[in-house]
Amino acid sequence: MADKIKLFVNGVEVEVEAGKNLIDAVGAVGIEIPHLCYHPALGADGNCRMCLVGIEDGRPPLVPACKTPAMAGMKVLLDAAHIKKIQHDVMELELINHPTDCPVCDQAGECKLQDYYMAFDQAESRMNVPQVVKGKKMDFGAGVVHDQERCVVCGRCVRFCRQITKTGELGIINRTDDARVNIFPGRPLSNRYAGNVVDLCPVGAMTSRDFRFKQRVWFLKKAPGICHGCAKGCNITIDHNREKYKDDIIYRFRPRLNEQVNGYFICDAGRLSYKAENEGRLTEARLGNKARPIDDVLAACTREIERAEKIALVLSPNCSLEQMAAVQALAEKLGAFLSGYSDGYIKPGDGDGYLIQDDKAANRAGLGLLGIDCSREAFESAVQQAQLLINFNNDLTRSYKESDLKKLLQGTKVIAVSSHDTPGTALADLAIPVASYSEYAGSVVNCDNILQSFAKGLSKNNDLADICAIAVQLGSPLGSPKERFALLQQSISALKDLEPDKIPAQGLNLNDSEAANVTA
Amino acid sequence: MGAQVKTIERKGSSLQERLYLPEIFKGMATTFGHLWRNLLDNRKLYVRHYPEVQPEIPVRWRGRHRLTTHEDQTVKCVACFMCQTNCPANCIMIEAGERLDGKAEKMPVKFNIDLLECIYCGYCVEACPVDAIRMDTGIFSVTDNNRESFVLGLEELLTTPGAFSEEEYKKGGA
Amino acid sequence: MSLLDYVMIAIRVAFSAFVPLCFVAVCVWMERRGAGYFQDRSGPNRAGIFGFRAAGLVQNLSDGIKLAFKEDVISAHIKHKFFFVIAPVIVFFTAIVSFAVVPFADTLVLGGKSYIMQGIPLDLGILWFLALAGFSVYGIILAGWSSSNKYGILGSLRSAAQVISYEIPMGLAIISLLVVYGTVNLNEMAQFQGKLLFGFLPMWGALLQPLGMVIFIIAAFAECNRNPFDLAEGESEIVAGFHVEYSAMKFAVFFMGEYVAMFASSAIIVTLFFGGYQIPFLATETLINFAKPVAFLLMVALPVVIYFFTGWIRRSNVSHYPRENDPRVFEANVYIKCFWGLTIFLELVLLAILFSTSGGAAAGIFVALLQICTLLLKVTMMIFVFIWVRWTLPRFRYDQLQKLGWQTLLPLALLNIFITSAVVVALS
Repeated sequence: MADKIKLFVNGVEVEVEAGKNLIDAVGAVGIEIPHLCYHPALGADGNCRMCLVGIEDGRPPLVPACKTPAMAGMKVLLDAAHIKKIQHDVMELELINHPTDCPVCDQAGECKLQDYYMAFDQAESRMNVPQVVKGKKMDFGAGVVHDQERCVVCGRCVRFCRQITKTGELGIINRTDDARVNIFPGRPLSNRYAGNVVDLCPVGAMTSRDFRFKQRVWFLKKAPGICHGCAKGCNITIDHNREKYKDDIIYRFRPRLNEQVNGYFICDAGRLSYKAENEGRLTEARLGNKARPIDDVLAACTREIERAEKIALVLSPNCSLEQMAAVQALAEKLGAFLSGYSDGYIKPGDGDGYLIQDDKAANRAGLGLLGIDCSREAFESAVQQAQLLINFNNDLTRSYKESDLKKLLQGTKVIAVSSHDTPGTALADLAIPVASYSEYAGSVVNCDNILQSFAKGLSKNNDLADICAIAVQLGSPLGSPKERFALLQQSISALKDLEPDKIPAQGLNLNDSEAANVTA
Repeated sequence: MGAQVKTIERKGSSLQERLYLPEIFKGMATTFGHLWRNLLDNRKLYVRHYPEVQPEIPVRWRGRHRLTTHEDQTVKCVACFMCQTNCPANCIMIEAGERLDGKAEKMPVKFNIDLLECIYCGYCVEACPVDAIRMDTGIFSVTDNNRESFVLGLEELLTTPGAFSEEEYKKGGA
Repeated sequence: MSLLDYVMIAIRVAFSAFVPLCFVAVCVWMERRGAGYFQDRSGPNRAGIFGFRAAGLVQNLSDGIKLAFKEDVISAHIKHKFFFVIAPVIVFFTAIVSFAVVPFADTLVLGGKSYIMQGIPLDLGILWFLALAGFSVYGIILAGWSSSNKYGILGSLRSAAQVISYEIPMGLAIISLLVVYGTVNLNEMAQFQGKLLFGFLPMWGALLQPLGMVIFIIAAFAECNRNPFDLAEGESEIVAGFHVEYSAMKFAVFFMGEYVAMFASSAIIVTLFFGGYQIPFLATETLINFAKPVAFLLMVALPVVIYFFTGWIRRSNVSHYPRENDPRVFEANVYIKCFWGLTIFLELVLLAILFSTSGGAAAGIFVALLQICTLLLKVTMMIFVFIWVRWTLPRFRYDQLQKLGWQTLLPLALLNIFITSAVVVALS
């Protein structure tokens, strides 16, 4: 924990963390200093002049808060007349060449320029000369559309590409009111984190081609979630909305701050993985190839389970710990072999050491924690012996070619408990639709052994059951979330003294707590 | 500071009023006067002979909606969703798309107004930043025999002309 | 029994059954157009057949057809379907049957036999009416109860309490009347009122029993559930009261029952207090003796009345806005021609009476017809009063209604009995 210091804002004493600049230090206690170019992940640039504050210790009358470290006893002025005037004047300056096309701008509603205009300016434009014409709707590549006219030249995007991705595709060219952000000719944005410039941009200059014109942001409901795109488990905000007479649909994923896991950013692949939550879903229970009421299919499953002498279960490495526990208990009760074989989820060499991981499954560490066998040999021999394979959302077509898979499953009936309508699901004799990760609550352990829990994000019109519930219907003895958590507590020592709702929002680092347990 | 108190005389306590019948007869005389006057000359009825004689629609009357167009008949709407956001009845359903003719970046691909849900409050007109939606068609009676036909589409909204000239509309306070 | 007997029975039964039904149309028409004119609007006047609107009467026809062909809904929550269906029938049936004892003409003497001109020639008279008027509330209670609806049960409870409260002053008002007339037979009452009071006033119940008349009329309004006593319906607080669950023809039967009850009540009021079928100053004997002069007078008066009436039609039945070749003028001309045709027919009938033998069967029938017309005219005027009151007065509050019934009408009715008895005893 950092040291605390005391300083004065507008004459009121506040206690803040030491070692931060004024914007972050004072912002942490709820006093906002307006800023456009400063971003905690990108450092202070000091070009926008929006964060100018007064400090009463003999300094010049105006200092940029982003470049000023918070010091004990500092007397910060935010509401003095000259500060108000400078904020108003900076806003007027920013808006001189701004097209104010908010009606067509996707940023409207989450735009810093709009917010600050309402807070500090609220004046008519005094411009009586034509505005500078710049490029609009420029394709920067990687799904980023740029509008130079809306840009306030804060340089966040430029710094992101230089400091974070170290690719440096963007630069600011020309000077004064002609300054603009651009790519080098023939060198579009080509890094795997380019989508973050859209989030970074405080105004509507950077927009996402994917999200463009889909929704106005004020319609979107925001739910916190965990990205299941790879083993990193980046924290995301699920922006979803149920339009009138339509289903609840996810429109975008945005990164959510978690210093322990992903910081401020996510990769583009994870950003676009929301599409899989909307499309290609298995929505109806199937018997053979025909859609049937889910109760009929469940009854047929129960009959199959009774008939089969040997049963094999296979589990997706994307399942939450709770689901794994429920399925494990089911396997024990049926005397079946439970496998977590999912080599197909690993793409060797894809990871980059930053956020993207080789392993494209969110909870492989969970399989290990619960002691579930993941070897190919054990899985194949179990399948060959079994008359019935119950597949809990494991997309086996990732691990096998379709012909090999058919060969392997010959003589074995398959019940697919699946969230998506994959080719593997089509091969199954019985299919039961289940919720995907934005539609259930659970917890996952990421590649760094950090356990993160997440809540149910949205409810579809046809709200599908969770794998836990299906496992219980098929005979798993762990009927309630409490029982499932108790089983997890047995397997994971760090959870022993925790209530389910006491898992910290930043995630529980199992390495730390395990180390702590060992020393104790 | 005391509130101003105005004492109102309570009526109905005199004997004649308490007998009730005389007052009833007085009331009946009044109503009969109306009946007799109207029987003798039914031109004195305060009615409009509606389907034949149409009411005069003032400029500020909020009738059925329409979408205005630029001079070259292209849609003015930029699909900013302000009307949909402002609509208290949630009767406007817009789908936006890319606009390629250079007039703006964005335009509505679908623009549906469910007249069965519309409460004709005119908030959409007030919210519109580009004067694209108006309620100046002068259409006050929308009838049909199925629900679907009450959902106005983009085509219908665009082709309905306004009932007033631009000058009249502007003078009406819009 | 001769053929004539059967014919007379058929005529009388048909009269007392169908006239109330026909008057439903007239009542509804009067109510709706009257309401319009009371409130300075025109009322329903647009429905027409080939442009003939019959002053709005066609609207009734179309409403009737609509109600007959509407889907007859019995909600699934209604358990006692039999009572639910029988309820409107009770209301309607009691209303029609209560009219059966009202004499619509004096005893007709044909071929030496006298025929009592009532639907059911009973001596019960007013008692029959009292019994059936009280019975109709069972229909309302059944309707409200079997609807399994809070509004329905509230409406019917209100109605039950109201009918009980107002039957008492009504009965007491009749008692004082019976003291005066000395009979329960309605025909005898009507004959009694044909006499003259002090030699120049018709001896009507209204003059003999003014207080009784007021009490009876107020109670009759309450019995009919008419405004200002229509709390059983109470649109503003209990939606429609007892018939809230009824639709289509079952609702229509309730609706018609209400108007038939109004017609029957009016007929009873007229018979008790306004001389029944008696034409003032012209008792039945006088009329039969002076059949020919009366017929002659009518022959003169009829064209004059029709002349002014058609003039009014010509003025009223036009479009009040600029219109080329106004079809309503053509419509008015057709009506006027019809009325003149009717007049000519009536003139011919009257002419036939002028040339018939005096004092014979023709004179008797003529007088009976005259008296029927008189009764219907008086009843129509009484119905008009019902409508007039409805469109003038606001509805009572329920406590006011009960207070009026028990604390005002009941003591007044008792007082009336004392005074009447004292006067009758003193005079005899």
